[in-house]
Amino acid sequence: MILATVAGSLFLAAGPAAHAQTYQGAKDFVANLSHDAIEVMTGKGVSDAQRTERFRTMFIGSVDLPVISKFVLGRYWRGATAEQQKDFLKLFEDMLVLTWSTRFKDAANRVTLDVVDAKPDVENGLLVESRIVREKQEPVSVIWRLRTADGGFRIIDLVIEGTSMIFTYRDEYASVINQNGGNIQGLIDQLQKKVTQLSAPPATAN
Amino acid sequence: MSSLLSRSVGKAAATAVVIAGLVTGCATPPPEADQEAVADWERINDPLEPMNRALFDFNQAIDSAFFKPLAQGYRDVVPQYGRDRIHDFLNNWRSPLVFANDVLQGNTDRAVQTLMRFTFNTGFGIFGAFDLAGAGGIPYHDEDLGQTFAVWGVGEGPYLVLPIFGPSNPRDTVGMAAEWVGDPVGYRLSQLDMTWVDFSRGAVGGIDKREHNIEGLDEVERTALDLYSTIRSLWRQHRDAEIKNSPDVDKIPAPGFTSASHGSELSQETR
Repeated sequence: MILATVAGSLFLAAGPAAHAQTYQGAKDFVANLSHDAIEVMTGKGVSDAQRTERFRTMFIGSVDLPVISKFVLGRYWRGATAEQQKDFLKLFEDMLVLTWSTRFKDAANRVTLDVVDAKPDVENGLLVESRIVREKQEPVSVIWRLRTADGGFRIIDLVIEGTSMIFTYRDEYASVINQNGGNIQGLIDQLQKKVTQLSAPPATAN
Repeated sequence: MSSLLSRSVGKAAATAVVIAGLVTGCATPPPEADQEAVADWERINDPLEPMNRALFDFNQAIDSAFFKPLAQGYRDVVPQYGRDRIHDFLNNWRSPLVFANDVLQGNTDRAVQTLMRFTFNTGFGIFGAFDLAGAGGIPYHDEDLGQTFAVWGVGEGPYLVLPIFGPSNPRDTVGMAAEWVGDPVGYRLSQLDMTWVDFSRGAVGGIDKREHNIEGLDEVERTALDLYSTIRSLWRQHRDAEIKNSPDVDKIPAPGFTSASHGSELSQETR
């Protein structure tokens, strides 16, 4: 009770997003989302292409892609033409959907995800702490960084065992852009290539 | 790992570093006027990138020709139960070193945990083949001298890819070398004229680690546009988390989405 009061007074300062209810909401959001994602990726009687498309719909509704894209590209985002920004957003979405749908699918049968806690983050965001539990192995820590948007939540980062998804993409893409003489078009071309490669049916992919 | 192997590996490694350095040289830093580029350069911390990339390619070639097939073979031949026993055994005999580092980092709680685990597992767990303490609620944790140096405030220095051993930096390289010399278990084995046991321990440890990472590395390789920079980023972030002893919510770097420049956030508020 006292804790709740203290917590409550702290959150007053942090703005309307901060509420015990909000924390429960954030935890539920993550729990439901990972449950649904696994359901979508393992449900029977659906083709792989349909699965990926359903995953994409979920993904678009729960991940804040524009915010992530701007962070990942940083100064290169501001230097890009509107056309390049549009191309990047589309390809980055494809890339993330192809990457994470497979990861959810692979993980689905072997692990469970326990949502542990939710805490306030900077800029009115929330951090939801969870653990991937695998049989006979050390649990893996997964932290979901959320922001509140339109009365709901949007994912802006996944931090797995201390490694942040968006920081990793940012470092990688900065390196690719640098290797192309600081030109973002080089990154877009390589993304296009990778997306094509990842979308190929498993039989022909290496 | 003691004298002979470490010396010859160390020598080979040093030679490879020098050769790679001569062939490739340093990366060119961005002009000072471009502040954001300079911030990126410092955050990435890889002035030796051309050399590191050459060594990375070398390691990748060795890995796909040798270490990965070896790890796959180990998985095919030794059943999970046997691999678990080997893993627990190796962890147990790393404990004296972990204990020393817990103490050097002033972490009494964790030192006591390590000591209890070692005593219990060595006795009741048949020389550590069974991690009974872990099952009983005292999980294993790793520490190394590089982390201890970091806790003492020693800077990491530039990112460095070591031949065979992979991602590192000068601080962690010194830590690793000092551990070969200073490991009490290795020292005792060499006293007993059983240095070969120590070699085997190092070799099996490497295979055990590679076997654990087969899927993880395959997945990173499948999805990365530039494997080198992805591994560099992942390794450095993970190392940071290890040094802080947990990927705790309070300790992860905040991206700072609303600020105009994204240069300095990775230098983390919670050092």
